[in-house]
Amino acid sequence: MSGEHEMLFRALLYIVALGLGLLVLAKVRSRGVRQAGLLIASYALYLTWGAWFLAVLLASTVINFLIGRWLKRQPTPLVLWAGLAFNLLLLATFKYVPGITISIPVASLQKFSHLALPLGISFWTFQAMSYLFDLYRGEEIDPSLLEFALYMAFFPVVISGPICRMPDMLPQFRSQMPPSRDDIGRGLCRIATGLLMMQIAQLLGKGMLTGQGINAGFDQAAGWSGPDVWLLALGYGLQVFFDFAGYSHLAIGVARVLGFVVPENFARPFASTTPSIFWTRWHMSLSFWIRDYVFLPLAMLRREEWWRKLCLLLAMVLFGIWHKGTLLFVLFGCYHGVLLILHRQAQQVEQRFNWALAGKAWTFFSWLLTMAFISLGWIFFRANSLAQAGAMFSALISPAAYSSHVLHQSLYLLILGLAVSYAVVLVVINGLDRHSERLEAAAVTSRSELMATVIRDRWVWVAPMWAAACVLVMTLMPQARAANVFMYRSF
Amino acid sequence: MTAEAQQMIEHITRIMRRRGVQIDENTPLLSSGLIDSMGLLDALVKLEEVTHMRIPPGKIQPKDMDTVALMFATAQRVGKPGK
Repeated sequence: MSGEHEMLFRALLYIVALGLGLLVLAKVRSRGVRQAGLLIASYALYLTWGAWFLAVLLASTVINFLIGRWLKRQPTPLVLWAGLAFNLLLLATFKYVPGITISIPVASLQKFSHLALPLGISFWTFQAMSYLFDLYRGEEIDPSLLEFALYMAFFPVVISGPICRMPDMLPQFRSQMPPSRDDIGRGLCRIATGLLMMQIAQLLGKGMLTGQGINAGFDQAAGWSGPDVWLLALGYGLQVFFDFAGYSHLAIGVARVLGFVVPENFARPFASTTPSIFWTRWHMSLSFWIRDYVFLPLAMLRREEWWRKLCLLLAMVLFGIWHKGTLLFVLFGCYHGVLLILHRQAQQVEQRFNWALAGKAWTFFSWLLTMAFISLGWIFFRANSLAQAGAMFSALISPAAYSSHVLHQSLYLLILGLAVSYAVVLVVINGLDRHSERLEAAAVTSRSELMATVIRDRWVWVAPMWAAACVLVMTLMPQARAANVFMYRSF
Repeated sequence: MTAEAQQMIEHITRIMRRRGVQIDENTPLLSSGLIDSMGLLDALVKLEEVTHMRIPPGKIQPKDMDTVALMFATAQRVGKPGK
């Protein structure tokens, strides 16, 4: 089957699974049948990516479930570490060993370089580890094997998250309530938003003219000017945001249609006014995971300030290499770790001298600085090599590189236009939310009630509007034979 | 409100991201963004100081420390007498 046909087949299967899942949850009250129905749909979809992938997921599920049982009987650090070691070994085998062995000239090791990465392994392995941590901490969770298997394979989130946690999911798996009309409406709205955002990400990658997108901008040999590098850094930040936040909307929306609430992954990260706020709004399910299960336990081992900062750096390096085990991702993590440490230093100076840095001008300056530094970090994330990252940073600091630009004007227009449009959409959504709150607080009149309904049930008009916008974006995009690929799938 | 809780509230008010916000024992701190994870560690050190307890690492979660009231309950539950 060709790539396009395979994608179409999976999309159709996904829609069928969603429809059947919805039907089962709406009509069946038996908890076991509901859970079994969802698990069968999840495994059937996962199987389309390869039987071997499903075998790895099944093995991980059974072993983690057994370790969980052991941990519940004996909540000792030794058992916890045994469970964590199993998961880290599994992840390292598939994620990092192929990359390491490909560069070792030993024939017997070279065969490991062809190990395929089971889809979503980084996500479901982290879910398994959080389950073990939660048991060790004494959380009252007692899933059956069926419930644990569903937690690991739940189809809306198995491929690329958001990373869920057992204490949040278990009561929902056990619920016997059918999805409400509101769930379905809100879910469809999130799905439409997600599809539009992912199309915008594709448009950013490909550009409005053939070969004039961000992908081509990064893949060109060299010769970027200073403005080009700023544009690519800002544009790539937007591209990865639209792609992954779009996917997250889709996953959250599909789960919501089925009546499940899964964690949010993004909360308007481009409105952050400090790096510390940014990391509570970007890929939240992973950053909160690292905060809760790595940073805080590690940082609490000692009380000195230098130790906390070191832990912050280590946590961000882990964030980087979670994506890929390359030097560029280590540097990405280090860069953000250093940014957070510098921000902490600034906070401490502010507190020591009791400066009250507030006001609109200061907030705007802080936002601008944060966005500039966050954008530059994407160079490590996206650059094809260390040499390329070096060349791009050189262009940034060379005054001579600011006299011209190499990238096509259409890309400048596209990125700046999208950034402004996105800001306008955020302002409108904020306004609608505030207006809705005011209407709910005010005395009810027939006019205000109608307005509140239009705003509250906005999925009725937002979903078709986004779907139409999606078609418009697709028409703007140059036609290419290569299938559209979700960027975070490779992590 | 106890004197210890008052001490905690005063300390947290000094390290909060947003100035001029009034908090009480039940104000959500980390989940509302009033403090970040470094601020939570600052609060934890202060909690150990005022309760004379040592909070073991790995046994608590941010949700156990999200309000001043929860911090004292957590110290009571998992804290060990300090040296």
